[in-house]
Amino acid sequence: MVSLAPSLTAILVTLGAGDLLVGIDEVSARQQPALAQRVRVVGGLFNPSLEGVVALEPDLVVFVPSAEQRNFQQRLSAVGIATEAFSNLRFEDVLENIERLGRLAGREPAARERIDAIRAVRAQLEASNRAVETPRVVMVLQRDPLFVVGGGSFIDDMIAIAGARNLAAELGDAYPRASIEWLVAAAPEVLIDMDASHEPAPAYWGRWPALGARGRIVHLDPSLVTLPGPHLDRAMQRLTAALHPMAPFERGAPPAGAR
Amino acid sequence: MKHLTAGRLGAVLLASLGVLVVCLAIGLVTGPSGISPGAALDALLHPAESGALADIVWRIRVPRLLLAAGVGASLAVAGVIFQALLRNPLADPFILGVSGGAALGGISVLVLGTWIGVGAGAAPLAAFAGAIGTTLLLYGMAAVRGRVSATQLLLTGVVFNAFASAGIVFLASIAGLADGSRIFLWLIGNLSAARTDMGIVVGVFLVVGLGVALSLARGLNLLALGDEAAAQLGMAVERQKKILLLATSLMVGAAVSVSGLVGFVGLIVPHLLRLVLGPDHRLLVPASALLGAAFLVLCDTVARSLLGGRELPVGAITALVGGPLFLVLLRRNSDRSFTA
Repeated sequence: MVSLAPSLTAILVTLGAGDLLVGIDEVSARQQPALAQRVRVVGGLFNPSLEGVVALEPDLVVFVPSAEQRNFQQRLSAVGIATEAFSNLRFEDVLENIERLGRLAGREPAARERIDAIRAVRAQLEASNRAVETPRVVMVLQRDPLFVVGGGSFIDDMIAIAGARNLAAELGDAYPRASIEWLVAAAPEVLIDMDASHEPAPAYWGRWPALGARGRIVHLDPSLVTLPGPHLDRAMQRLTAALHPMAPFERGAPPAGAR
Repeated sequence: MKHLTAGRLGAVLLASLGVLVVCLAIGLVTGPSGISPGAALDALLHPAESGALADIVWRIRVPRLLLAAGVGASLAVAGVIFQALLRNPLADPFILGVSGGAALGGISVLVLGTWIGVGAGAAPLAAFAGAIGTTLLLYGMAAVRGRVSATQLLLTGVVFNAFASAGIVFLASIAGLADGSRIFLWLIGNLSAARTDMGIVVGVFLVVGLGVALSLARGLNLLALGDEAAAQLGMAVERQKKILLLATSLMVGAAVSVSGLVGFVGLIVPHLLRLVLGPDHRLLVPASALLGAAFLVLCDTVARSLLGGRELPVGAITALVGGPLFLVLLRRNSDRSFTA
């Protein structure tokens, strides 16, 4: 099997099906260094190598369709290689992906276990977060140019599960480019900064003092929440901890990932 | 050429300044947050206040308006100078490859910066270094045997631009998702990262470039007649061309390093003004500076306001507005001369 998406690779590895893989993309390789030692890396997320994939003679290629890959699926099918496409936009899509990959890899029990664990955490969080205030939040994926988590993505779903209101849902795209003026005017009560740059969050956001004066700025490691992979239960818990540092089950402990 | 009187110069400059002031005022009271014009003006008059309103007016809109004005003026003046210097109506601030060098420098840092331990914040500096490097290369290539040849300059610029875009495509292919969005915005031109210090850098090089262009405006007029004719009329052709080339390239480099490749401003503003004012550079240079600034301020106001909280790259607006506007004026004035 060849996986061309880091989320699918992570699901397969977690389900104990990593040894079925013979090829992965570059981003998967960066996230799974142990796996990358053993299997072939067949190009980038957006420009996988057709020749590299074909040479591995895989029985199946799993991938998340993107505009950048263009007709990669058709070209694989044309040379007789089976493909399976996965969408991972919404929370439920990700659970479905775990189930489908479990079936394809012959790891149904492990998949069921993972899905049940995620659903259990979701139910628990939804129950406990019902009691607390719903903070108004903006999640920043990248500072400059400013990209935020909009409506209709699995992260947006997790924000709702974590008992918060995603202000950027009004921007009308899953991951829109926002303007800083919109952000300052939106005045989020919690700004979750997931930018990967070296500049510390307080120094960067301090350029607009009103942001910090009216809300809390929390830095969160993006790898904890932005992968639509097998550990959405952990992602939801991290997000909840960042959003409600004073919530009963977290009292006394600093919010995970905050700095 | 219409005779230039102090009255005509004054009238044109006053009118251009008026347009710029109106555009700045529109930009100041317009934005995605929908604060009222009155509140925006009130916040402008009370710079010591704190809060979201003060942040929006003083720390978002004002720096951005000033940067847009500085970049717009720099590009328009550079367009005027290059069109005269190269005696080519197609010349724009990017034609000599200075922009390509700047883009290559900036994008190198965006893509490779994490490996050598510098962040995206170093990109403007690297872009400016790229612009200076390209200027020196241009200068070295074109100034053979002590003469600056327009053909040599153009060829060097075209070839260097092709080389730079190949480098950019290579870097873009190995870049990740986040860098990809930065590269795209750089190539199309974008002012969303505006900061006051950027405005100051652009302003300093604008003042130098503008000063040189104004003091040599008479020479620019003579250059239209050809190098030999200009020399016969007593112009120190080569020395003036070198000074103009250097000052203009630095001005373009500073503008590009903070805004990316904002197209059309440097091409259409000078040509529009040539159509309206005629070819006298003593008039064209200052009017281009003021109206180039006004044009980019207006386009950037659209870019940051049109889609509510979502931001558009200003380069897309300048091309969308500038292209049709230019064609309309070109058609209505098809009898008028286009070259300098």
